[in-house]
Amino acid sequence: MSLFSSLSVSASGMAAERARAALLVENLANAETTRTPEGGPYRRKDAVFAAEPAASPFGSAFANAIGAEGTGVRVAEVIEDTSAPERRYLPGHPDAGPDGYVAFPHINPAEDMVDLMSASRNYEANVAAIAAVKDMISHSIDLLR
Amino acid sequence: MLDPVARSLERYMDLLATRQKLVASNIANAETPGYRTVDIDFESEFRGLVAGGQPRAVEVSGLEVNHDGNNVNLDREARLLAENGLRFQVAEALLKGQVQAVREAISGGGSG
Repeated sequence: MSLFSSLSVSASGMAAERARAALLVENLANAETTRTPEGGPYRRKDAVFAAEPAASPFGSAFANAIGAEGTGVRVAEVIEDTSAPERRYLPGHPDAGPDGYVAFPHINPAEDMVDLMSASRNYEANVAAIAAVKDMISHSIDLLR
Repeated sequence: MLDPVARSLERYMDLLATRQKLVASNIANAETPGYRTVDIDFESEFRGLVAGGQPRAVEVSGLEVNHDGNNVNLDREARLLAENGLRFQVAEALLKGQVQAVREAISGGGSG
């Protein structure tokens, strides 16, 4: 059923945006983190999305025969910022090097906030798509009444 | 039992459902690098579908492409989302009328 796979397409969009928002929030929370288990300051993370064929709720046996398949989205990979950390002169800091400089994460909170807003807007757009498709499904069911 | 009009309506609703799925795909991939907006050529596909064909998804031309190769325009998708929903409701109301006529025939015009 075509309409039901639209729901999984939009759900994949919601999941991907949620995963991205989680990474962005992590970046904001760790904007000043100088210690990580791997050593060194925290590194900014971001999600890379990739399109993928939508999973049909009923599996391939009932997969739609028509060529106009829906395309879902998934988080293909999480990339870590590899740029050099920001160095601040704080000689009293416990993580300061012999030269008195401390390596801080290279994070611009404004950039993360803007990305977070865009993730939230896209999440809402997917919710609106689910609501519209849900309306169509319930109207079809009304035909039986 | 139902006449050809009802069959055309059914095809129309099928096509709207397919289109809605493509709109959902476009919205889900609004930030996927390299993703291109897909849609169906509604009018010509409807004529083909009534004749018994299958719809084909095509890339939409004339949209602005982002720096990451994505050309999804959320405003366009929001418009189509609403339009498909409304069109579907119209088709549904018309089909309901057809079903109602059959029901009345079954119940014998009120005496049953």
